Amino acid sequence: MERDLTHIALFAALVAILGLVPQITLAGGVPITAQSLGIMLCGTVLGAKRGALAVLLFLALVAAGLPLLSGGRGGIGVFAGPSVGYLVGFPVAAFVAGWIMERTTLPAGLAAGAASVIGGIAVLYLFGIPGMAIVLDKTLPEAAMLGMAFLPGDILKAVLAGFVTQGIARMRPGSLLSRA
Amino acid sequence: MLTLTSPVETPLHRLPAGAKLAALAVFTLVLFRLSSPLPLAGAAALVAALHLPWGRTFALHALRMLRPLWPFVAVVALWHLWTRDLHGGAVILLRMVAAVAAANLVTMTTRLSDMLAVFETLARPLSPILPPRRLALAFALVIRFIPTLSDRMALLAQASRARSPRRPGWRLAVPATLAALDGADQAAEALRARGGSD
Amino acid sequence: MGGITLQDAGYSAGGKVILSGLSLHLEEPRIGIVGRNGSGKTTLLRLIAGLVAPSAGTVRVDGINPFADRKGALSRLGILFQNPEHQILFPTVEEELAFGLRQQGMPQRQALEAARAALAAEGRGHWAKAPVSTLSGGQKHWLCLQAVLLMAPATILLDEPFAGLDLPSIARVSRRLAALPQRLVTISHDTAAVAGADRVIWLEAGRIRTDGPPAEVLPGFTAEMARIGEADADADLAG
Repeated sequence: MERDLTHIALFAALVAILGLVPQITLAGGVPITAQSLGIMLCGTVLGAKRGALAVLLFLALVAAGLPLLSGGRGGIGVFAGPSVGYLVGFPVAAFVAGWIMERTTLPAGLAAGAASVIGGIAVLYLFGIPGMAIVLDKTLPEAAMLGMAFLPGDILKAVLAGFVTQGIARMRPGSLLSRA
Repeated sequence: MLTLTSPVETPLHRLPAGAKLAALAVFTLVLFRLSSPLPLAGAAALVAALHLPWGRTFALHALRMLRPLWPFVAVVALWHLWTRDLHGGAVILLRMVAAVAAANLVTMTTRLSDMLAVFETLARPLSPILPPRRLALAFALVIRFIPTLSDRMALLAQASRARSPRRPGWRLAVPATLAALDGADQAAEALRARGGSD
Repeated sequence: MGGITLQDAGYSAGGKVILSGLSLHLEEPRIGIVGRNGSGKTTLLRLIAGLVAPSAGTVRVDGINPFADRKGALSRLGILFQNPEHQILFPTVEEELAFGLRQQGMPQRQALEAARAALAAEGRGHWAKAPVSTLSGGQKHWLCLQAVLLMAPATILLDEPFAGLDLPSIARVSRRLAALPQRLVTISHDTAAVAGADRVIWLEAGRIRTDGPPAEVLPGFTAEMARIGEADADADLAG
C-alpha cells in the first residue's frame, strides 16, 4: 500500500538527514550524532516491520554509494570496517524497538524510551561489539570497552526518542503507526 | 545528490558493477583467510596499485574515504605496541585497510544508478513479496526526499534562530520527524493520484 | 454516461463533516469552483480525483468509480496539486515525467524516451537529468503540469493553479491552460482564476451555495467576501 511505502522511504531519508546534523562532542571527545536517534524512531514511530525496512532501505543506499552515514561515510567500504556490526544491528535494533512498542500498553513516551534502550542500545551493542571484536581481532571484553565510549550519548538519544515519540503521539496520534 | 562516485573517469568505471562486486567479495574472503603479514601486505599493495594510475585527485579522494578508520588504526597500533605483538597488529591493520580500501574503490568507480540496478537484480528472487518496481520506487523516493527534508531542517533551524538565542540542536528532532510524516502522507497521495504503487 | 457525476456525496473526517449533500453533473469544458479557505474545495477535488472515498453518496467519472478503479481513473482524471512539492515523487525530471506513463503500462525505456521527447518539444531537453531539487518554484509547477499532461487524461483538476507564482509565470500558465483541449476543473479563492469558465460553483461550508455562469455567481461571491472581510473576527478554531 502507498502509505507504507512512503513512510518507509521518508523515514529512511530522516535517518539520513539526522546523520548530517552537526556532531556534538561529549566530554571525553566522543562524537555523537543523531543518526542512531533516527534508527530508534524508525522502530518507535513506524513499528517493527516498517521500521526495519526503512533502515534496510537506508543501508542499501549507503552501500550503493551515498555518503549518508554520520560523518559523510558511505559506500561498500563501511561494511568492511570496524563499524560493520553496528550497521548489521541497525535494522534489528529498529525491529526490536518497534516490536516492544507494538506490544506494550505503557504510555507512548515511556514505551518508546524503554524500547529505544532495549532495541537501540542493548540489541545494537549485541551486534556492534562482536563486529568490532572480529574486525579488530580483539576479545569481546576489549571490544566492549571501546564500545562503551558511546553509551552516554546513546542513553541521551534513547531518552530523546521517548520524548519525540510522545510528541508524535500527542500531536499526530494517527501517524504513530507502531500503535495504530 | 552528491555521491561517492569519483568524477575522475577511470577504465574501472567501465567494468560492469556486478563483476566488480563479485571480485570484491572474492578478494575480501581471501583477505580473511590470510593470516601472515607478508601476503596481506601484498594484497594491500595490489589495492594501492589499482588507485595510483588515475592521478592525484583520485588517490586523495580514496585517502579521504579511509579517514574514518584512523581512530581504530591508532587504537590497534597502540595496543599492539603495548603488548609487543607487532605481527598480530600488522595482520589486523593490513587486512582492515585493504578490505575497506578495495570496497571503497568499487564505490568510487561505480555510478549510483548502476549499483542500485545490481541491488534490484539481486532482489529479484524476492519479487513475490517485493516487486522490483516497488524497490526502485522506494530508492527514488528516498533520493528525492533527502534534499527536501534537509532544506526543511535548515528552515526550521533559521526559524528557531530568529526567535531564540540558543542553538536548536535536539529541539529540531520533533519537527523533523513531523516533516517526515507529513512528507510521507503527501507522497502517498501523490502516488495514488498517479495510479498507486503497483 | 460522460462527465463527472456526484450523487448526494459527502465526506467526513475525524467526526467533522467537510462536504455534505453534493449532487452535481459536470460536463462543461471549463469549470470553476470558488469558496473560502476551509469551504471544502480541496476535499471536493480529492473526492472527484478518487484520492479519498466519499463517506456518503457516490462519485462517478464517465460511469466509473474513481476511488475503486484507479487504472480507469488514470486515463480520465489528472490532478495538479496546489504545492508542487507535494506532487513530485522522483529525484530527476525525466523520472518524474516517465512515472505516469509507466503507471499506464508503458515499458520503462519507452516511457523515458517519451519524457525526453516531451521536454525537447518544449525547448527543455537539457532538463532531463536535472535533479528536481534544483528547479525553481515556477519550474516545478511546470514539471507537475507536464507530468499530468503526458498521461493525457480527459479531465484535469487544478487546485489553486496560480498560487505562489509570480506575474510572468501566471501569464504563462494561464496561456498554457487556456490552450488545452481537456476539460479543466479549477478551484480557487480568486475570482480572476475562474472568470473565463463556462460554469462556476460557489462552495460554502461544504455545500453548494450557487451554481451557474460566472456572471451570475461571481458578483455575489465577491460581495459576500468583501462583507466578511469587513468584520474582524477570524478567531474560530477548526475542529
